[in-house]
Parts: sequence; structure tokens; C-alpha cells
Amino acid sequence: MQHLLKNFHWSLFYTMLGLAGLGLLFIHSASHYETGQFALKQLFWVGVGLTFFIGAALLGYRTFLGVSNLFYVLTIGFLIWVLMFGETNLGAQRWLRLGPLVFQPSEFAKLATVLALANFLGSHYQWEKEGRTVLLALGMALLPFILIVKQPDLGTALLFLPMAVMMLFLWGIRYRYIIGSLVMVAVATPFMWQFLKEYQKKRILVFLDPQLDPLGAGYTALQSRIAIGSGGLFGKGYLQGTQSQLDFVPEHHTDFILCVIGEEWGFAGVLLLLVLYGMLFKACFRVIDHTTDMKAKLLVAGLLSLMFTQVFINVGMSFGLMPITGLTLPLISYGGSSFMATSIALGLIVSVYKERSIF
Amino acid sequence: MRFYIYRIITFVCLIILGVGLFKTQVLEGRRYRQLGEQNRIRLIPLEAPRGRVFDRQGKLLASNRASYNVVAMPEDVTPEVFPRLAKLLRMTETEVRDRVSGPREYPFAPAVIKEDIPRELAFQVEERKPELPGVSIRVSGLRFYPYGETASHVIGYIGKINPDEYRQFDRIRYGMQSLLGRAGIEKIYDDRLRGWRGGRQIEVNARGQLIRILSERLPETGEDLTVTLDLDFQQKIMEFIKDKHASVAVMDLKTEGLLALASSPAYDPNVFVSPAQGAERLQLLRDRESPMLDRGIGSAYPPGSVFKLVTALAGLETGKITQNTSFHCPGYFRIKPGSRPFKCWRQGGHGTLNLYQAVERSCNVYFYNVGHRLTPDRIAQTARELGLGERMELEVTNIAPGLVPDSAWKKAKYKEKWYEGETLSYAIGQSFLLTSPVQILRLVSIIAKEGEKTEPQLIIEKTNAKKDNKLEIAIKKSHLQIIKKSMLNVVESDYGTGQLARVDFDKIAAKTGTAQVPPKTAHSWIAGFFPYDNPEIAFVVFVEHGGSGGVTAAKVAKQMLYLWKEAGLAALA
Repeated sequence: MQHLLKNFHWSLFYTMLGLAGLGLLFIHSASHYETGQFALKQLFWVGVGLTFFIGAALLGYRTFLGVSNLFYVLTIGFLIWVLMFGETNLGAQRWLRLGPLVFQPSEFAKLATVLALANFLGSHYQWEKEGRTVLLALGMALLPFILIVKQPDLGTALLFLPMAVMMLFLWGIRYRYIIGSLVMVAVATPFMWQFLKEYQKKRILVFLDPQLDPLGAGYTALQSRIAIGSGGLFGKGYLQGTQSQLDFVPEHHTDFILCVIGEEWGFAGVLLLLVLYGMLFKACFRVIDHTTDMKAKLLVAGLLSLMFTQVFINVGMSFGLMPITGLTLPLISYGGSSFMATSIALGLIVSVYKERSIF
Repeated sequence: MRFYIYRIITFVCLIILGVGLFKTQVLEGRRYRQLGEQNRIRLIPLEAPRGRVFDRQGKLLASNRASYNVVAMPEDVTPEVFPRLAKLLRMTETEVRDRVSGPREYPFAPAVIKEDIPRELAFQVEERKPELPGVSIRVSGLRFYPYGETASHVIGYIGKINPDEYRQFDRIRYGMQSLLGRAGIEKIYDDRLRGWRGGRQIEVNARGQLIRILSERLPETGEDLTVTLDLDFQQKIMEFIKDKHASVAVMDLKTEGLLALASSPAYDPNVFVSPAQGAERLQLLRDRESPMLDRGIGSAYPPGSVFKLVTALAGLETGKITQNTSFHCPGYFRIKPGSRPFKCWRQGGHGTLNLYQAVERSCNVYFYNVGHRLTPDRIAQTARELGLGERMELEVTNIAPGLVPDSAWKKAKYKEKWYEGETLSYAIGQSFLLTSPVQILRLVSIIAKEGEKTEPQLIIEKTNAKKDNKLEIAIKKSHLQIIKKSMLNVVESDYGTGQLARVDFDKIAAKTGTAQVPPKTAHSWIAGFFPYDNPEIAFVVFVEHGGSGGVTAAKVAKQMLYLWKEAGLAALA
């Protein structure tokens, strides 16, 4: 216990609890009138998540880095498995059933990829064989990316790109590589486009512009804007939302939970949410500043990038800035896999703070 | 330094989110509140017209006709509507109620009360609209097959999506009411025929009237397809096999396109489309005559003597016989002196015959002799080289792959070794062997083309991606030429088994088959190509329990050839 409490990052922990609490509150609001006991289930997942959080903090990030390659290979295996035997829902295969548990391997693939990349990049210097290192690192990020695109889950897959780019950037990749790869992507895109099947093209186009599918994604985008916009400055009051509760907005306890917050607590509520996330990210940056271990810095930065991108896309899609995708709001949305993966990530970040180099 | 940039990017993005939300919620909040409070958004799905299917002459095989559907917006329906509507549509009140409160794809989706009602009734509903709030008539496209039974097995039919499929499929393309291909070309080319559905988001006022269109995407019509069939030709063939259980397939040898693929009895695919014909559908599916079965592609039968062509090729390839090899036929064949005699179909025997005469007269004893010198595995190898026992590329569902047995197959299936006597039956196309008529068509096409790999086609692609590299099968061309030549006398010689197929305008080469299926009457086969010099078409005729191949099937082949000439299809090729 003493070991745990020593150098514990309390403010990060409180922010995490604050977000989880806010999440529980609104999962209840979003689902209290339907069967399913989602809030109660989420309470259980918060408990499990906190256990994993403490476990990760105690084990320490070095242990995780040590087995990162194995973990990576394992999750890639799961991704392949889900493509072959996963459960199909709404045209996508994302879930795996293990006994009574249903989980989403892509959540764990995100974690594993960051760990493996941090471990790999942290043990190579940019002044020797930079090209080879960069290519290998990109390959490590692209493999899960492609497998997740195949499910198809474009939203989750796209998280891998900024994460890999940011980690390479922070690792110290030279600018000419960045410019070079940007040019390569620009040249390759129209070429790749040719190889896509008609329905794949449509899917990507609808992803980029929901209005191309007025009955599906376009409708969701509109209703989500209506729900959040009708909240105004202070909202309609807790449990008083009508848009999100009347099923106009789909998935309101998972992907679109922000609509419930925005409708019931208004701009004040979402501002509170953004401030909490801001505090969480600030804490992560402090952790980065406090360590001298390059692997640790990269690890925290990568995990941060995943969380941040997810928040940005999820919040952005609710008012039309970002495309509609099935991404959860970390720590807030209902979902066991998502909460657990985020908890482990935060546990790792806390452990970096605990084990920071002490002079 | 770089970590500092990262930090700035992160917080700038958070501020962007804050500003965006402020704009949506505080600045535009009022407008969204208005839109939301009265639920003024309606979604109108726009189903894409399905692509049409034409025959090679441009005749419509599958098109769309207007169908009038009664729909209702459950939110706007008042209770007194139910009895009125029930009376008008001759439904029970409960039925109407159930329809109105059924599952919906999205909020404010109109519920379908009754589909495909007569035009006059649709007008009546429209006229009485003031007393039927929430009810309206929506016109949609309904599949229509103008030629009914003529090419039903090729074209197939469509049906409504089931809940399981709806759950699994891509929502962009498939709605709760979507129709999709269930058989034939409709099924295989569903992806190309179906197009992309569109939709419209509209804002309505409190009375449900349109104020403006918020967003719209027009549906994209599905692709039109052209099949290789000639509908007139097919229709005439169907007419003279309509009382039989039979199939006729005719292929253009140059393009490898099927000019006719007729199977009888057939069914009317329109029955599957119209919502009102549930009883007819059930009747079709239960019919003892199995009209749903495609007797050309979907089912495999023993080929009988047609298979002697394969046995002869196997004999030539192994060098066990040459074109001059003669055997004596006393009317029976014994493996060993004193063992059970295997009989020839002709009592008293054929005397001494060479290979050409043996094919011409379809002598069993000659081929017992050949088979006796071969192994079943060697026969199977030749059969497979000629495409038997192998799936076809043909674009129609439920293709029967047939069965080419060998010793390993028998061991696996019956845990027994292959007996010598079975090789003898194998050599004349009996034993466990099963082939679909279209496989036999492919076999005779390969012989007509002297070894060029052939794959019957059903679709004429606009993009002319015709295969340039002609693949050859691994059988010597000179051997195929011998067999090709031997098929001529089957029809043209006065001893030939297929004389009844003879036509007066050119020479025809073929092989008959009478496959024993005791205790029932034998299946009747004839397969060949025409004209003998510079063949243009290959054909197969199969008559289930039709008796002698030289009689029943040969007569059909003859009629078919006259029709072919009459249709002037030679010029088209």
C-alpha cells in the first residue's frame, strides 16, 4: 500500500474519478427508462477499471514495456480472430465472445501498439538507420490499422495514424522525413482509391460527409446537432432531455453520450467536461516533463494522443466538425472494454510519474 | 521543444471544441430547440430503381413497373382511420393496426399498410385523404418479368430482406424494406443491379406539410445487364419441351455465350415479387414436379453413353487404343471366362468394330474392352481434364458440381475397394458418375474447339475484357480430332444412334446417351456441335426419364436446330 501511495499522482486520479462519475450520471440519464441497467453495469466496470488502474500503477510501466512485443502479437492475433469469427452487427465485425464476456479487441490493440512502439522507438536512436526504424514503426502501426479498417471500423482505425505520427515526431524524426511521407501519401491516395470497391468508396465518402447518407449517418448527425444545440447555455435539466431520450439520437449511452450531457446541462455541462479533460491532459504533460526516460515519455505521449484524438473526434462529431464514427468518449461512455483500456493507460501514466528518475 | 509543440496543439484543439460547442449551443441554440421541440424532421427514403436485364436482342427480361402502396405516418394517424382503412382495403382492423405499429427503420418512417394495390383503389384512397389523416399513397418500383416462365431459372427472382440479413448488412445500401436477389442473375448480380438508395431529410410544419428540404441524396439507378440468351429462341425451345422434364442448352462457340438455357417445367418469377401471391409461392415450392429446379445447371445425372467420348479419350491418351484398334462385340463381355456377362445394348452384338464405328453405334462391349484396359483413376483424370466434376464459372446460383468417382473417393465414401466390374460401368457412363447437362455442354465444346478451354457465359459485359490468352487442356489435339470426327457418323451414318437429329441443311456431330436409372425409365441425352465443319454452336439436350437418347433427345435436338436456323442466330455470332 505504501508502495502504491508513494509519489502517487493524486490530481490525475481525482480527474479520472470526476470523469467516471460524470459518465455514470449521464449513462443513467440516457438509459434509465429502458431495461438493461447500464448505469449499474458501468459501476461494475468502473470498479474493475480502477482495479486494473491500480494494478498497472503497481506493476509499473517497465514491466509492460518488457512484454510489449508479446502483448502486441497477441492483440494482432485477436484482431485476425475477430475478422474470422467475430460477431457481426450492423455490417461490422468488432466483438469477440469469450464465454460470457464480449469484448472489443481493437481497444486492447490500441494499448498494445503504443507500448510496442514506445519500446521500439525508445531503444533506437534517430541518428542511426533512421529510415529503417521509421519504416518498421509505421509498419507496426499500419498492421492493426488495416485489420481494424477491415472490420470495418474506420473511426477506431484512424486513431492509429495521429498516434504513430505524433510518437515519431516526438521521437525526433527529421523534418525531411515528415515532408517526404506527406508527399508520398498525397501521391499514393488517388492511386489507392482506384483499387477500392464501389461500396468501400461510398463508405469512405459517407464517413467524410454524412450528408451523403441522409437516412443514416446524415440523420444521426442532424439529430445529434439538434440534441446538443437545443441544450442552450444551461440545458434542460438533469433527466429532462427529450431529444436524446426519445431515441432520436442512436447509441446515446455510448457514442453519443455527449448529446445527453449537452442537452441536459447545456454549454455549462460540456464546458465542465472539456475542463476535466484539459486537466487530465495537463497532468499527462506534467508526467512527461518529470521523466527522463525516453521510452516513458513516448509511452505517455502515445497514450495521451489516443485519448485526445478520441475526445476530439467524439466531441467534434456531435456538432458536425468531425465525421460520424463509432468512437466512445473515454471514461464517460458506457462500455467495459473502453473503460478498462483507458484505466490501464492511466495506470501506466501514473506509474511513469511514480518511477520517475529521482536524483 | 517538440513536446512543447504537442502541448500547444492539444490545448488549441480543446479550445476549438469549446468554441464550436458555444456556437452550436448558445448562438444557434434557439433554432435547434425549435427544430427539436416539434420533431419537425421527416425522412423520406428514395429507393433506387433496380437495373434492368436485357437479352442479346435488347428485349426486356426484367424491368420495373409502378406499384401503389398505402403508407401511413403512425404519429399522424387518428383512431377512426383504422376501421375506414380496413374497409377500403379489405383487411381486418387488427391487421391495419399491426401494420401501423410494426417495427420502423428510423423515427418518422412511414409504415407500409398494403403494397401493390390496384390503381383504382389507390385513387379512391387519395380521394378520401381528408378523412384518412396520416395515410397516403406512395408509388414505388416493383420488379416485373415480362416473359414469365421463359427464362425463369436464369433470371431468378427477388424477395424482401429478412431481419437477420438486415441486422448484418450495410445500412447504407440495405433498408428494412429493401428487396434483394434470391436466385439466378438477380442474386449473383444483386450488387450491380441494386444501385444505391437515397433519401431526403425534410422539415415539416405541425400539419406535416413540407417546409423545406434539409438534405437530399438522389438514388442511383442500378446497372442494366445484358444476358447472352436470345429470348425468342429460348421461348420456342421452352414451348416444345414444356410437357417434358427436360433441359436444353445452346452455346455460341465463338463468344462462349449461352444462346438458350431452358429448363422445364419452369415457374413464373413474378409470383415471388408480388406481395399478394403468397399462396402461389407456397404451391411452387411444394410442387412434386419441382419447377424451381434448374435441370440444366442445378442438378446432375448419370450421363450414360455420352461419357464414352471420355473413355475413348482416356484410351487414346494412355496408348491402350488407337483409332484403328478393333474389338469384337458378340453382344456381351466377360472379365474372366465364366464370370458374369456385361451386356451390350444390342442383342446379338455389333460384330467387329473400330473406334469410329464403336462411337457411331455406341457399342458397350467396345468400351468395356477399353475400360478394362484402364484404371478408374485414369478415366477420372481424363474426365476432370474435360471439366466434369468441377464447378463452372457460370453466373447462376446452385450449380451442381456433379461427381467424378475414383478409387480414393470410393474408399472414403463406402470403405470399400473399387471393383473391376465397376470400371466397366464407368466406361459407359454409369456407376457413380454424375454430370450436369451444362457440364456435358462444356465437354462437347472443348472437343469441338479441339482442346481449347471453354467456359459458358451468361452475361455480355460492356467493358470488353475478352480473354485473349487461349488456354489448352492437357489432352493431345490429334486425339481430340479423332473423337470429333467420330461424332459425325453418330448422326450422319445410317448406322448411327443419333440419326433422328439429322437436319437437311448441314452436317451435325453429336453423341447420344441413354442413362439407366432402374427401376424408372432411362434418362435421354444428346450433346454435340453444329455444323460439323467450322462449328458455330454446341448444344446439349437432356430429358429426364425420356427413354432412348437416340429418340427423345435427338428429336428435340433436331427441332432446336431448325429453330436456330430460323432465328438467324448464325449471322449474329
